[in-house]
Order: sequence, then structure tokens, then C-alpha cells
Amino acid sequence: MSKKILIIDDDQDIRSYLGDLFSDNGYETVMAEDGAVAMEVAENEKPDLITLDLEMPGEWGPRFYRKLSQSEELKRTPVIVISGLQANKYAIPKAIATLTKPFDAEELIRIVKDTIG
Amino acid sequence: MFKKILLATTGSPASFGAARVAFDMAKRYGSEVTIFHVVGVPTKAFSHVVNDVRTGEEVEVDEEYLAWVEEELKTTFAKQFEGADNAKIVLTTGVPAREILREARKADSDLVVMAASSGENASFHKGYPGSTLQKVAKAARCPVLSVHRESASYWGGFSNILFGTDFSKQAESAFKFALSTARELDCDLTIFHALDISGKVLDQNEIEENLIIARKRIRETYVPLMGDFKNYDIEVWEGTPYVEIVKLAREKSVDLVCLAHHTNELDPERARIGSTVEQVILRANCPVVSVSKPDKV
Repeated sequence: MSKKILIIDDDQDIRSYLGDLFSDNGYETVMAEDGAVAMEVAENEKPDLITLDLEMPGEWGPRFYRKLSQSEELKRTPVIVISGLQANKYAIPKAIATLTKPFDAEELIRIVKDTIG
Repeated sequence: MFKKILLATTGSPASFGAARVAFDMAKRYGSEVTIFHVVGVPTKAFSHVVNDVRTGEEVEVDEEYLAWVEEELKTTFAKQFEGADNAKIVLTTGVPAREILREARKADSDLVVMAASSGENASFHKGYPGSTLQKVAKAARCPVLSVHRESASYWGGFSNILFGTDFSKQAESAFKFALSTARELDCDLTIFHALDISGKVLDQNEIEENLIIARKRIRETYVPLMGDFKNYDIEVWEGTPYVEIVKLAREKSVDLVCLAHHTNELDPERARIGSTVEQVILRANCPVVSVSKPDKV
């Protein structure tokens, strides 16, 4: 059974690009355009990994991460931060990796493979 | 409570975090935000020739120059201005701290937002906030919110507040501000006391005895003031206060730290910003509010 990745980003282009990238590499994907919606999707879909943007119109990434880490069921889900903001590796220190847009697709896939296979 | 925000900025990258928070508050809470920039320090009294705050060069301040500076600021914060209906730019000349205080008084600001330093810092600046923040935080009638690290501005609004107390008289005002913010914005509130054991070797029973006393004191001092507000936690443990505040804020994903401006000096006119507040401002991964006076809490 293929592993499932939740992509959280307010930018439709980034969501499509990541969706295609992960699908091409044999992963199933689900999407959310905002931190608030993402929590509901995460609870329903139980993803194996999450990619998270930081700056979004409604709920920002760090606040979503706080909610995620308070959920008994989801708190161990690995998170990769993918954001255009600077100095972002400090925003969510417990993320398994932090990539700055524009990011290297090969590097991202390598991190995902190393994390969830 | 945050109707009028005064964003004091040099327009340098060091102030981008503060600007992000101020504009986000304006959009999120419907606040009116004034982008306040002191162009330069006059070379003589009433002089129209000033030393530019950014470059130090002597410049002549006329309509044309002011228009150029305003355009520069609009370009710098272009992304932030998008969707900010209630934002305006105010420019002036003078000594920055004095002019910020003057504007905050004139506009009756509810909150001053500024960076910890202007960023042109030699390495010795890294351990201390800049002199402008020090002066503003000491004398402002309203709370002063500071953002030092870029990542501290990535929260988007407030929902989880940490109030650090040393049980001083000044901490009462800081608590009132933390509580009214928590009430108004429906936040969780953590009341924290770090038992300072830096440089001491204490018996463990004595430490834990003091922790029990501090907990009791928090319950007696602050809980009666909270009325029907129930979203609070009490945390007490030993350590070096600024380190423990920063660690707790990080572990709890706190998005606003609220502290009293100073603790030892009762006369606010003579009080320097406390070393704990200074260090927390520089190190926290979220905005930090320093409350010096009881007027706007």
C-alpha cells in the first residue's frame, strides 16, 4: 500500500507541483490550502508525512504544527517545512527538514524516502 | 485593545519581523497601523539638514526628499500593504526614541511595535537590545511589542500567551495586559514563574519547597483576578529565568510572551529594562511584550 502525504500550501501551483512530484514517485497525496482546513484533513486521512508552508492567509504553519503536536493520534507524523520565508528552520524546530522555495525536488524526495520509505 | 498600533521602523531588514507582526495584527484584528519612521537627526536645532538614520549622511529634508523616503517605505513593505486598509505612513525628523514616544502619546497608541535593534549592529549589539527600544520601552505609556528573530514573526495572530512573573509590583500590569489580551482574543494563558537558582547550589528539598510556595503564590495572586477565565495553566520550576521562559515558550508553541519591563526599581523613570526581559526579547521564537506602566492594560 502506498504511503500518503498531506500537502499544506496556500499556493495552488505549489500544491499541484508537489502533488505531481509525489505521485510520480509512488506516493498518494491529499491537499489543504490553509492550516485550519489541514487539521481536519489530517484527522480524516491520517497521512504518513506532511509538507507544511509557513505563511498562509488564515492559519499559519506554526499554529497548525502546535495543534498537530497536541493530537495523540497525529503528534508523531513527520513534518517537512517548505516555505519562502527566511530563517524558517527556527520556526518549527522539530520539523524533520526545512526547505526554502525554490527547493530542489530531488533533495525533497530523498528526505521523504529516508523518512517514510 | 489593539485599535491603534504604532509600528516604529527604520525600514531595514532588522525590522521586517516587527512589520510582519504589526501588519498581520492590523489585518487580523482590524487595527489601525501607523508606520512611523524618523528620517534623521537634525544637525542643529530646527535644522532642515539632518543626519540620515540609515546612512549617517547629511541630507536636506524637503518635500521631495520626504516623498522619496515614503516611496521607499511603500516599496519595502509592498507585500504587507496589500490588503491593509488601515495603514498610513508618518515621517518626521528628530531623535528616534523621543519622536516615537511623542507620536505614541499624540496618537494615543495602544501598542508600540518595533524591532530590538536597527540591525547595523556590531557583534556587541547581539546580546543587548538597541538603545531606542530601551528608551521607548521604559517611557511608553502603552505596552511595547518587540520582535527580534525573523522566525518570531511567523505565527499569524495570538492564541497562546505566556506570562512570566517574579511577583513584583510591575508584573501586575503585565498580567492585566496578558489576561485582557487572552480574554479578548480567546487565547490560552500560561502563568510561569522560574525560581532563580543561577549561581546557587541549593538543597533539593529547599528548591521544591520554594516551588510549592511559588505555585501557591500564583494561585493567591493571579487566579482571583481571572473571574470566569478558565483557559490557564500554572507552571513553576527552577532555572535561569530567561532560559526557562524561552524554553517553555518554545515547547508550548507560545505565540506571545508577556513580561514586566523591570522589577527592582520601583520608580519607572529610573528603571532600566530588566536583564531577563532583554534576553527573552533577543531569544524568543515569538513576539515579546514588555509592559512598563498600568495605563493601557
